[in-house]
This record gives sequence, structure tokens and C-alpha cells, in this order.
Amino acid sequence: MIGLLAILIEAWSRPWGIVAGIRNWADWLFYGVGLYAQKPDNPFLFSPSMMDLGLILGSFASALLAKEFAFRRPPKLEAYKGLFGGLFMGVGSSLALGCNVGAFYSPLVNLSASGFLMMIGLIFGAYLGLRYILWEVENLPSPSPAFAATSQKQAPSFDWKTAHPYLGALVLVGLVFAAHFYGKSSYAEVGGLLLFGAAFGVVIQRCRFCFVRAFRDPFMTGEAEIGKAVVISLIVAVIGIAVLKANGFRRETMYVIPTFGWGSLVGGVIFGIGMVVAGGCGSGTLWRVAEGNLKLWIALFAFATSNSLMTGWLESSGIRQTLGTAVFLPYYFGWEGAILLVVGVSLIWYLVLAWNEQTNKFTVGL
Amino acid sequence: MDDIKPDEVLDCRGLSCPMPILKIKKAMVNMSAGQILEVLGTDPGTRNDLPAWAKRTGNEYLGEKEGSGFIHFFVRKA
Repeated sequence: MIGLLAILIEAWSRPWGIVAGIRNWADWLFYGVGLYAQKPDNPFLFSPSMMDLGLILGSFASALLAKEFAFRRPPKLEAYKGLFGGLFMGVGSSLALGCNVGAFYSPLVNLSASGFLMMIGLIFGAYLGLRYILWEVENLPSPSPAFAATSQKQAPSFDWKTAHPYLGALVLVGLVFAAHFYGKSSYAEVGGLLLFGAAFGVVIQRCRFCFVRAFRDPFMTGEAEIGKAVVISLIVAVIGIAVLKANGFRRETMYVIPTFGWGSLVGGVIFGIGMVVAGGCGSGTLWRVAEGNLKLWIALFAFATSNSLMTGWLESSGIRQTLGTAVFLPYYFGWEGAILLVVGVSLIWYLVLAWNEQTNKFTVGL
Repeated sequence: MDDIKPDEVLDCRGLSCPMPILKIKKAMVNMSAGQILEVLGTDPGTRNDLPAWAKRTGNEYLGEKEGSGFIHFFVRKA
């Protein structure tokens, strides 16, 4: 499903991404307090921002429909993990010019070599993040359950939960109307992205699709179900998008990002650590935010603001130019070669995951 | 679900993926075979994770029960 949606959204207008949208929101925050002189793009017309907004609202509607929405207060330690995980994600995604979606998934299916480096970085980072979490479970005392008392109110006279599914349906209808309105005022493209974002939101919230688990669980429990799902969706999407590009529907170098170098690798490691500690990747953070998980609200805030500041610094200091180069695989291997390379690496990854599922050779969990 | 008598109770309320599973794993180490662990949780993800984990590790997932603002999960150590 994710693979199909990734093809569709790119056919509609642009590849799927997360970070540019939430950075736009943080840019507005800093602009608002007077730190940035330049006015950021209008978030309601800026396409990445609309995709993220759609994703959050779509997941929100979907969580309501399933009666899974509730504000969940994290214990103190978890809140700090959200904060630091978010900071790591912000810095990492700034170096790699994207998160697990914008710097790994989308580049790889767009045949950009930087996706491979990001993948290696993410695997390594997820491993390090998991080592920390395991250490924490072993060595730090469990948080006291005292918070439970505060998060629990007396039984309300009217159970709002019964109304949730209706609210969810209302949000979905609202989204369609908003897109329609955009279409009427000749911003059809942005309106469409809002809907695509919402479609991603519904799908990933329903199946609790999570890149963190894809990278973390093979080490933690050996379970590879989600890792395999990511691999399959990669294969579906890479073929579909190659067709779009080879036929000239999309610029060949679209989303071939100039981070084939230390940017993707180091950014991947830092982001990988952050996403495991925070408990949500780029997309996973957004749908958990929509589900009411307050730990991820903290993470999202830290993620967006640190990414905004770090990106500004990378640009003004000129370091951004050193991150790496843009490498479009078909220029080196031809179309068939490039697709085979991505599919081949995906298949190897799949086999390693399946093998580890049986043998637990890489599993370090407790 | 109502007549299950847990031997241990683990409070995972407020924790989200992957903390509940890791804490459950740790709690189960000190239990003996046949004993039942009750887990209190708020993360809807546990609904999928716990049965999957139990199946993988050979423990028996007994089911869940809706509490007020949280969920009770029951798992028996193999």
C-alpha cells in the first residue's frame, strides 16, 4: 500500500517527504519571535507542509474512527527521551536532508545513491539507539506509576469515546471539502497533496506502519514482519517510479539529493539513534502525535526546531556543500542496472531479515 | 477475562512502543512457568505487539480487558 501511494503521489506532483513540512512550521515559529528575518513559505500553500498536515489529520481521523485516540501522558523519563530523540532526529535529518522518508525511502525509490548510505546509517543508528534502551531497562529504576493518577479523571458523565467515530468521519469529510476548495481556487495540486497526505495517514495509522520497527526489531526481538513490509514496498515503488521517470513523466534527477557522502551516512546514524529513543520516525512521529501520544508531541517540537536551526547553520556556514554529491544510479548502471541494484539490495536485506527471524543471530534484546 | 488471577502486575501506563514489550520481557524472566502476568497499558500498539511477541517466544497470550482509561493484558509464562 505504501509503495503504491508513493508512486501515486509522485505521479501527482512530487515525492513523499516529511521534514521540509515540519521545518516550515518551525521556521514560522522562529520568524514569529523575530529570530529569522526572512518570511517562510505559506504553510497552507507549501506542498511538504500540506502533506504533513494531511498526514496528521488523516491519522487523527483514523484514530478517532478506531476509538484509539486519547491523550497519553508519558512519565518524566519518557518525556526526556522524546526531547533528546527529537533533537537527534532534527540534527540527523538536517545533515541527510531528510528523515527516513525524505532521505532513505524516497531517494532510494527514485534511484538516488544517497538512499543506500542512509540505509546503512539508519541500521547502525537503530542498533546504537536500541543498546541505549536496553541499558535503560536493565539499569534505571522503572518510573513510578504515580502519573497514572493524574492522567485519569473521574468517569465523565458522558462518554466522549462513543462520539469519536463520528468526529473522525467529520474530519475526513472536512478534508475532502478543503481539497475541493483548494481545487476551486486553482491550487488543486496542493489540495491533492493534502488528500494524499491524509491517505498515507489513514493507512499508516491503521497498520501502525513504523520504520523504527523495521530497523529496530530485527535486533530487539528478531521479528521482521515490518522490515519485510518495508522491503516489499520499496520494490513496488522503485519499479513504479522508474517507469514514471524513464517515460519522462518526471524529471530524471527528481529527488536525487546531494548527500551521497558523509551527509547521508552520519545523518542516518544520528537520525537512527534519535528515532529509536523517541519511539517514532519521521512519519511515525506524526501519526502518533495524531493519536494523542504526548511524548511524541515533545519529540516533534524538538525535531522541527532543531532541524530548522541546524539547516540554517549548515547553509550559512557553507558546510551544506560538503555533505556529498547527487548520484543518480542510472547514469552509472543504466536503468535496468539501477533498478536491479535497488531490488537486489532489498532482496538481500529481506533474506537477512528472514534468516535472522529464524536464527536470531543479530538479536541483542535482553 | 474476569476470573483470571494474576501472579504479578506490571504497570506500563504512559509508556509507548517498545518499552512495554521490553519491560514485560524483563518481568517474565523472574517468574516461574505457568504463572500469569497482568500488564496495565495505554499504548494501542501493545494489542498487536504482545500477542505477536508471546507467539514468538512460546508464551501464552490470554487476552485483554478494557479498564477505565487503560487496558489490562494477560500473559502466561510457558
